[in-house]
Amino acid sequence: MHELNWGLLIVVYLFLGGLSAGLFFAAGLANYLEVDGQPAYPRIARMGALLAPWPVALGSALLILDLGNWYRFYKLFTHFRWESPMSIGSWLLTLFTVIAFVYAFAWLPEEWRRSLFAKVPATWKQVHRLNVDLAPHRKTLAMIGFPFSIGVGIYTGVLLGAVSARPFWNTNLVAQMFLFSALSSGAAALLLAMVLDKRNPIETHETKFLITLDIVFISLELFIILPYLIHGQLSVLAVKQALWLILGGPYTVVFWVFFLGLGLLTPLAIEVYELAPSLLKDRVFHGNRSLALAASSLVLVGGFLLRYIFVYAGQLSSFHKLGMLR
Amino acid sequence: MDIRKRRYALVIDSRKCINCKACVVACKAENGVPIGNFRNWITADRQGEYPKLRIDFEPEQCHHCEHPSCVRVCPTGASWQRKDGVVLVYADDCIGCRYCMVACPYDARYFHEESGTVHKCTLCSHRVDKGEVPACVETCPSKVRVFGDLEDPSSRLHELLATRRHHVKEPQTGNGPQLYYLL
Repeated sequence: MHELNWGLLIVVYLFLGGLSAGLFFAAGLANYLEVDGQPAYPRIARMGALLAPWPVALGSALLILDLGNWYRFYKLFTHFRWESPMSIGSWLLTLFTVIAFVYAFAWLPEEWRRSLFAKVPATWKQVHRLNVDLAPHRKTLAMIGFPFSIGVGIYTGVLLGAVSARPFWNTNLVAQMFLFSALSSGAAALLLAMVLDKRNPIETHETKFLITLDIVFISLELFIILPYLIHGQLSVLAVKQALWLILGGPYTVVFWVFFLGLGLLTPLAIEVYELAPSLLKDRVFHGNRSLALAASSLVLVGGFLLRYIFVYAGQLSSFHKLGMLR
Repeated sequence: MDIRKRRYALVIDSRKCINCKACVVACKAENGVPIGNFRNWITADRQGEYPKLRIDFEPEQCHHCEHPSCVRVCPTGASWQRKDGVVLVYADDCIGCRYCMVACPYDARYFHEESGTVHKCTLCSHRVDKGEVPACVETCPSKVRVFGDLEDPSSRLHELLATRRHHVKEPQTGNGPQLYYLL
């Protein structure tokens, strides 16, 4: 009777939602950092702000398309059920997307904003009233957005973790794992975008900031994954059997080799290799472009694979089939 | 109008089950279940080798839980529970997100492709409300299934649960399943 009810669209959505949360968080953080009274990373803050709303907007569209009746999605907002993570999540997601778009608007360069409103017919006066410079309010907007970005990052994990019927998900570690993975993906996506932007080459101190941020997030993620594995092994039979899915079962290779090895430890190693000499031996931080490119791409692959493994393996786990190991 | 509190449940004497699947067919016919989907089914667990051989048949379906996780996770309230314990899906509010299917420990629900909504066992509430028993119960030739009201001390179900040893499946999920299997 068992089948996979959630497929690749859900994986993509969970990844994109987390990515936006991470982008917003990193961008907002960069906006707050100052050196000698001057913003330290204004270009990172702008790039992140401009990128942040798009993945979650695309992800939400995919989520709606995945519904059996996509045109009924409005019912998510006409019923509020606080017991359902999905009900809370859809509100959180909507509010976050709106805030992220407003924040991106606040970071639009002056000329972009003008040319955008130049396309609106002059008679649409109400629309033209929106043509205001929100730049002075960037910090306030970032502060409002922080809890929502964290919320979206956690929510993608809670959506799975709150399902008591699936022992693979139902631990108190999945939410944090997804949050730190989301934040790490955001920092990595920002690094990737900055490196790929050839017109405004990334500067060394910017690479250093993003790499440092990513090292912190990857390390935190690693410290969640280890207890997840250890605790699962020491837990009740159903959880132990669920973990078999990644410890010998069908998702073992993708978990250990592709996610943990390639998507987490390799980028961590690259980033530590880049950063450590400047921290420990007082050498100059070089910020190798290819290494930054490789590390950030791998982090994104890892973030996607984590969600893939959890969505698929989690649905296979069950209390019902205690004979799964047979 | 009878306003007495009711709590419907099923007792299953799986030792009597001969895996004839009449209950499955009756359910499909009664409820128009599409080909490839099932609202009830029978698991066959074979142990050992001939001549030391044993096979256990267990009818399975929605357990109409006391605290159904499918109802809890539903974002629109389409999954709901009647006062008499029957767990149903209100199709007009179902958006087809399938969260309930993921959340059901018994995998008792299926996705109805044609309507894009989730369907499940209704405990034949359309029959029960008329005073009849569910189609699977009525059709079972070896009388495996006993349908009844837990609140009714004079019911056969009440008598069986009082006098026979029984268990429920996966109580550790906290759902409070209401399918009682006799030992």
